[in-house]
Amino acid sequence: MSSVPLSVYLVLALILFCIGLYGALTKRNTVIVLICIELMLNAVNINLVAFAKYGAHPGIAGQIFALFTITVAAAEAAVGLAILMALYRNRKTVHIDEIDSMKH
Amino acid sequence: MSMHTLLQYKWEMMTPEFIVLGTALILSLMDLFMPDDKDRRPLAWIAFVGVAIALIATIGLIPAKAVSILNDTFRLDAFGKAFKLLLLAGGALSLLLAFDYRPKEGLKDRGEFYYLLLCALLGAMIMASSGDLITLFVGLELLSISSYILAGIRKTSMQANESAMKYVINGGISTAITLFGMSYIFGLTGTTNIKEIALEVQKLTDSGYQYILAIAFLMMLVGLSFKISSVPFHMWTPDVYQGAPTPVTAFLSVVSKTAGFVIVLRLFITIFTQAPAQGKDPSSLLFSMQDYIAFLAGATMIIGNTIALKQRSMKRLFAYSSIAHAGYILVGFAAMSWVMIDSIWFYLLAYLFMNLGAFAILQRISDEADSDDLSHFAGLYQRNPLLAVAMGIFLLSLAGIPGTAGFIGKLNIFLGALMTEPGHYVLAAVMIATTVVSYVYYFGIFVQIFFRPADETTSLRMPIGLAMVVVLCALGTLLFGVVPGLAYHFLE
Repeated sequence: MSSVPLSVYLVLALILFCIGLYGALTKRNTVIVLICIELMLNAVNINLVAFAKYGAHPGIAGQIFALFTITVAAAEAAVGLAILMALYRNRKTVHIDEIDSMKH
Repeated sequence: MSMHTLLQYKWEMMTPEFIVLGTALILSLMDLFMPDDKDRRPLAWIAFVGVAIALIATIGLIPAKAVSILNDTFRLDAFGKAFKLLLLAGGALSLLLAFDYRPKEGLKDRGEFYYLLLCALLGAMIMASSGDLITLFVGLELLSISSYILAGIRKTSMQANESAMKYVINGGISTAITLFGMSYIFGLTGTTNIKEIALEVQKLTDSGYQYILAIAFLMMLVGLSFKISSVPFHMWTPDVYQGAPTPVTAFLSVVSKTAGFVIVLRLFITIFTQAPAQGKDPSSLLFSMQDYIAFLAGATMIIGNTIALKQRSMKRLFAYSSIAHAGYILVGFAAMSWVMIDSIWFYLLAYLFMNLGAFAILQRISDEADSDDLSHFAGLYQRNPLLAVAMGIFLLSLAGIPGTAGFIGKLNIFLGALMTEPGHYVLAAVMIATTVVSYVYYFGIFVQIFFRPADETTSLRMPIGLAMVVVLCALGTLLFGVVPGLAYHFLE
C-alpha cells in the first residue's frame, strides 16, 4: 500500500469534506445534515491518519488525535439526534425549512 | 507509565479544575438519589459554592510560576490564569441566574441544568490552559456539547428545541472546519503540541507549505468564529439566544465567548506569529493575515449593530449586541498592538459585568411576562427605581459612555488600533461609527424604562440570586469604570 502517495489521501479527504459541507448547507432533511457533518469529521480523520503514516513527520500523535475525534463526533451525533427527537415530538417534522418559528 | 511518574506531576496546578469536576460529580449523584418530588433549586447553591472555591483556588495559584504538566498538555501560565478568573466569575454569576430561573411552564430537569453548566465551565477552563491541540479540542467539545443540551433543556418548548437544533448543526459544521485546519497543521509539523508546532512552523520556508499553512489559518479562524459569534459564523446567535433559557443565554454570551477568544489568542499568537510569511516582508503569517481579520471585525461590528436596530425581542437585541461586541474585541486582535491581550482581557471583564447584569434584569422581566418583548420594560422606573437605575448603568456601559467599565474597555481597544504602525484608521473609524449606531437601540430601551407608562403598576421584587447578580455587576461596572487601574495592576 505504500505505493499510494500521500496526496491521494489528502485529495480524497478534501473531496469528502466538500461533499459533507455542500450537503450540510443544502439538504432539507435534518438527519441527512447530521450525516453530512459526520462526513466532514471523517474527512478530518483520513487526513490525520494519512499524515501520521505517510506525512513529512510520521508519528503516533495523529492516530491518537483521530481516536479523540471519533469519540467526540459520536457524542455530538448522539446529542444532535436526541435534540432532533425532542423537536420531532413537538413539531412532527424533520425538515429544516419548516423549522422557522423564529424570524427577525 | 508507573505510579511514580504519575505522582510526580504537579497536580495542585489543576486544583480549580478538580474542584469544578468534583462539584459536578457530587451534583449529578445527588440529583440521581434525591426523591423525584424534591425541589432541586438548592443544588444551585452547592454549584455556586463550588465555583466560588475554585475561583479562590485560582487566585491562590496566581503567585505560582508558569508550569506545564502532563507531558505539556496542560499549561498554567499568567495568560491562562487571568482568563480562568473571568470564566469562573462568569460561571458563578450564571449559576445565580440559573438558581432564580422560573419559566412559566416550570423546568423539569433542574438538576441536570446545574451540573451541565459546571461541565461546560470545566470545558472552558481546560481550553484556557491547554498546551496541546488534543486537549484544546476536547475542552472545546466539552463546552460545546454541554451547551447544546443546555440550550434545549426545556424539552417541551418548541423554540428551545429549534434553537438547540440550530446550535448543534452550526456547531458541528464549525467544529469540522476547525479540525480540518488543525489536521493540516498537524500534517505540516508532525506534532500536536502547541509549543513544538511554533518551533516547527519556523522551518517551513517553502512557499507551497506556507500556502497550506495560510489555508489552515483561515479554516481555523472561520471555525473558531462560531464560538465568539463573529462573521462569518454569527447567524446562529439570535436564534439560539432567543430560544435558550435566559441563564444559558447569559452563559453563552459571556463564558462561551471568553473561551472562544482565549483559544483564538493562544493558538494564533503562539503558532502563527512564528510562521514565516510568503513574499515581501520578513514579518510573520499572522501579520500578513491582518487585513482579513480586520475585514471580519469591521463586518461583525456593522452587521451586529445595524440588525440590532430593528429588533423588538430583547434577547435577539442582546444577541446582535453581543455580535457587535465580538466585533469590537476583534478590532483589538486585528490591530495586534502590544497592549492587545491586556485590552481584550479588560474588555471581556467589562463585558462580563455589564452583560450579566443586564441579563439578570431581562430574566426577571421576561419570566414574569412570559415574553421578552421590549414593551415589557415600559415603566420599569415606576415599578422599581433602583432596578431601573441599575439597568441604566448596564446600558450606558454597553453603549460605552464615560464613567463605566465599557467605556474604558472600548477606549483601550480604540487606542490600540491607532497605536500600531501603520495605524488602523479605517477600523477605528468603523468602530466609532457603529458605536454611535448602537446608541439608538440602547437608548431605545432607556426611553422605555424611564419615560413610558407601565402597564402594570405593581412593584417588581427581585429574588435573592438575581439581586446579588445585579448588585455585584453594577458595582463592578462602576468600579472598573472609575478606577480601571485596579484590574490592570491585578493583571500584572
